[in-house]
Amino acid sequence: MPETDLLIHFWLPLALFPLGVALMLARDPPRKWVGRGLLFGCLLAPLLYDWNFSSTGEGQALHLGLVVLGPTLMCAVGCLLALFGGPTPFAPLPEGVRQGGFLLLAGGIAWFGWLLFVDRPDISGTVNPFWLHLTTSLLTLLVVIGGFAAAFTIMMGDRRWSEALAMGGIAITSFILLIFLLAQGTEQDDPVFWRSASWGALGDLLGLLVGGVGALLTFVLVVWIGERNMPVPEPVAPLSESEQARTREILAEHAGASGGEQE
Amino acid sequence: MNTEDGDAKRDWQTLALVVLMLILCIFVANIHLEVRGEVSDVDIGMRFLHSAIVSFMLTTGLLFMFTLAFAHRQARITEQALGMFLTTVVAALVYGWVIDAGMLLPGVVGDVWSQFSTTVLRLLVAECAGWIALGICFGLLLALVSGRRHADDPLLELSSEDFTAVEVDDSAE
Repeated sequence: MPETDLLIHFWLPLALFPLGVALMLARDPPRKWVGRGLLFGCLLAPLLYDWNFSSTGEGQALHLGLVVLGPTLMCAVGCLLALFGGPTPFAPLPEGVRQGGFLLLAGGIAWFGWLLFVDRPDISGTVNPFWLHLTTSLLTLLVVIGGFAAAFTIMMGDRRWSEALAMGGIAITSFILLIFLLAQGTEQDDPVFWRSASWGALGDLLGLLVGGVGALLTFVLVVWIGERNMPVPEPVAPLSESEQARTREILAEHAGASGGEQE
Repeated sequence: MNTEDGDAKRDWQTLALVVLMLILCIFVANIHLEVRGEVSDVDIGMRFLHSAIVSFMLTTGLLFMFTLAFAHRQARITEQALGMFLTTVVAALVYGWVIDAGMLLPGVVGDVWSQFSTTVLRLLVAECAGWIALGICFGLLLALVSGRRHADDPLLELSSEDFTAVEVDDSAE
């Protein structure tokens, strides 16, 4: 079992985080407030612990999260600025912002490249073991998602050649980079480590896909069984005198209003 | 209509084939390079098994929590909540059985918690990579797609006053 501190400051917030999100999405105010409180607590709990990042897997995962937070936010903000700086009918930004958005996105990707080739995420001189896993997973997924997006834009889009080219470019560049890492490695990491990480990441990604889709199918099956076993609704009682009177009242009111418009 | 349905089906089949081909390419590249150079002890079968069971368990647990959070008086969620809870418990039992049977992740301490926590952390990292990849690809695609400028729709130039004017002219005639 983990230490009590790790349980309180990492695993419990991690387990309760989805419940907090779900409660926050609920419509009635009490649950919404409970959800907000829970989410705040979940985000606060890891901050209240004096982490020694190198000694535990949880600390190493958190360290990696903090390292990639910067480039990820840069890419996300870049995408948003590029999107809303264009000719969009909803909340458009000034035109020059669009180019700035693309620059930010390119800067975020360059930051990832810097982390990969120059300044690998280390914890007091020791490599973060999850870094290779994240990089190989990211490149593998960029190949698949970029390839899918390129094929999608060609087949479903209306003369979207430049967009397909951009998506295809992402997929091909990621594939070449992945092959380069597997064959040559980087200055800090031997190719053997990259091959092992990539091979393991493939197993994890396929397991994630199979397990996640299996769980969703099980959910659909459970809902279907529940719906099928639901009893037929009982016949509704006829309208009472007062209800009939109220209905006539509403009908007369609306018939009168529409008659007035026609006149 | 049938022709359109057929086209959509064919398009999605082609897209699925593209994705399968890409996954195959990545596997072939990995296998080829694994054969060419040595790798450390990675049992992809065990990694897949552990990831699949733990990801199934976590997703059903997540759906159970969402079912509870969205429950209200009119909703009949007993079957749904119970079903998700039982499925999570069964997945946990199966995982415990897998560990007891000695099907362990290589390079990780053999107790249940170490195996489980390592798998969860690896899945979290893989999911993080998935969100970043989705964000970059579809964020860029959306920004590029929405950047195309079109000529204004000529129908937009017809305002309601013009219609009124036409109607008045017609009635005058």
